[in-house]
Amino acid sequence: MAENTQSVLERTAADQWKVLPSGLTVLVRPMPGYSGTHVIYATRFGSIDRDFRLGEREVHLPAGVAHFLEHKMFEDEDGDAFAKFAKTGANANAFTAFDRTCYLFTATEQLDESLDVLLGMVGHPYFTEQTIAKEQGIIGQEIKMYDDSPDWRLITGLCECLYHSHPIRSDIAGTVESIAEITPEMLYDCCKAFYAPGNMVLAAAGNTSMEQILAACARHGLMDERPAEKVERLLRPEPMTLAAAEKTIAMPIAKSCFGLGFKEEPLPFGDLRSEMLYELILCCICGGMSPLYRRLYDEGLTNPGFGGEVLRVDGCCCILFTGESDQPDTVRQLLLDEIERVRKEGVDREIFTLCKNEKYGQLIENLENVEDSASQMADFALAGQTVAQQITMLAGLTAEDADAALQHILRPERMAVMYIEPDGTAVEDEAEEETEE
Amino acid sequence: MRRFQIAPGVHLSYDAAQKFNRCRISIHFAFPARRETATAHALLPLVMERGYADCPDMTQMTKKLARLYGADLTVDARPMGCSHNLCVSITGIKDQFALEGEKLTQEYAALALGTAFHPYFVGSTFDPEAVGIEKQMLKKALEDEVNDKRLYCQRQANREFFGDSPAGVRQEGYLEEVDGLTPEALTEAYYEMLRTANIELIVLGCDEASTTAVKDALLAELSAIDRAPLPRAENIAMPRREPVRKVEHFDTTQAKLCMLFTLGRPMQPEQLAAVRLAMALYGGSVTSRLFLNVRERDHLCYYCSSSFQSFTGSMAVNSGVEHADAARAEQAVLKELADLCDGPITDEELEDCRRGLLAGMNGLEDTLGGIETWYYMEVLRGGPVQTPDDARRALLAVTREDVRDILKQFTLSVSCLLTREEGNGNG
Repeated sequence: MAENTQSVLERTAADQWKVLPSGLTVLVRPMPGYSGTHVIYATRFGSIDRDFRLGEREVHLPAGVAHFLEHKMFEDEDGDAFAKFAKTGANANAFTAFDRTCYLFTATEQLDESLDVLLGMVGHPYFTEQTIAKEQGIIGQEIKMYDDSPDWRLITGLCECLYHSHPIRSDIAGTVESIAEITPEMLYDCCKAFYAPGNMVLAAAGNTSMEQILAACARHGLMDERPAEKVERLLRPEPMTLAAAEKTIAMPIAKSCFGLGFKEEPLPFGDLRSEMLYELILCCICGGMSPLYRRLYDEGLTNPGFGGEVLRVDGCCCILFTGESDQPDTVRQLLLDEIERVRKEGVDREIFTLCKNEKYGQLIENLENVEDSASQMADFALAGQTVAQQITMLAGLTAEDADAALQHILRPERMAVMYIEPDGTAVEDEAEEETEE
Repeated sequence: MRRFQIAPGVHLSYDAAQKFNRCRISIHFAFPARRETATAHALLPLVMERGYADCPDMTQMTKKLARLYGADLTVDARPMGCSHNLCVSITGIKDQFALEGEKLTQEYAALALGTAFHPYFVGSTFDPEAVGIEKQMLKKALEDEVNDKRLYCQRQANREFFGDSPAGVRQEGYLEEVDGLTPEALTEAYYEMLRTANIELIVLGCDEASTTAVKDALLAELSAIDRAPLPRAENIAMPRREPVRKVEHFDTTQAKLCMLFTLGRPMQPEQLAAVRLAMALYGGSVTSRLFLNVRERDHLCYYCSSSFQSFTGSMAVNSGVEHADAARAEQAVLKELADLCDGPITDEELEDCRRGLLAGMNGLEDTLGGIETWYYMEVLRGGPVQTPDDARRALLAVTREDVRDILKQFTLSVSCLLTREEGNGNG
């Protein structure tokens, strides 16, 4: 790498990192010339965190609590946080994943005020039986919306096949029945356990500075030491066998969808290297440069979006392939044949290098706008890493590493298949029409 | 952003945009959509994106882009009212990030221009094999439309709403015509585009020398074409009509409702600021009436939002609702509109919406996509091109009565519902 490129890269990828006395990790990337600032306040608490010990007590949650809590966090005694953000002009949102919950906003004005709303709402949870009952209706609607998404049903169906007891089997939002069990006490327990500053990351990128973010933290007591509750996550042992090898459901779709899932050994916390290596292997096996992709494409066996992804959280790692096909079993066999061929012959050296090139470009791209930049910082920080470390790690990965990893991943004996068949209602028929008199 | 005419029907817009890590070159071709060539023009981007004369093979093309650190070459087509817009674009990291000192920007320009002006032909037409494969892909995409119920509902509503008007041409293509498309017909559609389109070259994040080089290369390409650009398609509005209610049955968990309203006459550029505030107030923001009342207070749907399309003077309200609540949701959507037209609008809600819009406009130039979309939409709308600052000033001047005047002009034309057959399902 040219020296000039190295220095440009170091400057671009640099972020400022501090751990406050409260335990909160703060990351800031000032981006000169940008009008907006994107801020993410993230906790390592997601839908899989269902069983834990809080002090001397065990807490067991129904499915969907982390997501429910995310919705409720926007409400306190004074009203709705969206209404407060409306006074600052910030565009706020939140999301819950399997292993994290993130609250975020983008502001171009009144950044201090927006930070106060964000830190205030997450720092002062407020729940009652009444407010919980109110939210169940809206979340019930959200659950139903995802029930109609074939893509999402493939992911959740494959997880149900691959895992016996790991909570990744359950939908992030839970079910209408499971969220009916939620109580204010459960939500307060989750806040005590997982919304402690030591379990959280605050990342900001754009038109701001570390001083500005730290001043906001100080206003919310985050510069002071905080006593932390002792929390231990409880995960039931998960064997490497499958819960089910195959599952088929019917939905109102026009074309069949299918998914293949491979159960892998869980990765240790912070092992982003293996995750990145697996992604490069997938790129070699079925990415756009692979012979398999080309064959599937030319013969019309799948849709152009067919591909693989790595899903890894605490206690679970799996590789999922999803797509649409009239001949899913043919695609499954072609994929298995290709995996065996690459396992035997090694990954294509040229494709491996090009996949690394693409990844490098992606990391640089993600440093370009305030949203991606803050998101990328927060994602890596939750795993104890920085963007600069990721770039260095990527550079160090070799095709030989991929060959070695391939000897123990993507094993056919740990593969499950999920089919979604058309239920026959999604065919064009004469719509009923009525003209208002 | 600066903009110049560089040839009849051809403009260059550029911005050095130094703060970005990437640069972007895009060539937009805009021309009136025609029913006769709609399917060919829907297929065109799929075939063009596979490769071009200097790199005809799809896999080699993907490798070429990977060598450029995953540069993104896209050929896409988008309906813009009565216009069809095909865009060839490439976005990639700047030269300063190249690990081996490669001249990336030069390669980006060659790829974009090659894809746009030198497609891979076998003899005098597009490669029949590539055309055959991409026809299957287009068919799949059209058949799969129904898998995404929200999109399907919106498209079905649009089809009813626009009927046989020029804005009703199905720019995604007609399934029944795909099999009959020939390489010759596709090639003819391509040449028609080169001859008749208004072209906008947008160069972002490149220095002056690179921008000039791209501009000169484009002009050299155009000099070989017998150009006769057609006038830009005018903005339209569908006439008012008695509302039509359309119902289709699917055994889904959630019903989808799409309601389309017409402004009754084409939108004038000076109305745009009031329309923006009206949308934010009615259903385009988290402080809107549809969000706060229909979703949050009445729990009638998980999403319920309004959006406006300036090219066609139309407003869409989309929502996901309980099957049993669909009629109630439709009434609630209409009631919220009537309340804004005739009832009180508080200073607080008006200013909250205005503040949110102003803040959003402030950040528009923080992304390459934001800059390009803003300016190109301004170009397509006709009239003087407004900067985000111009638009902010116009927004500050909008009054409550301006908002009401706009909302009062909307009348319901089509309501499309995807729902279960009665008696089917458990909830």
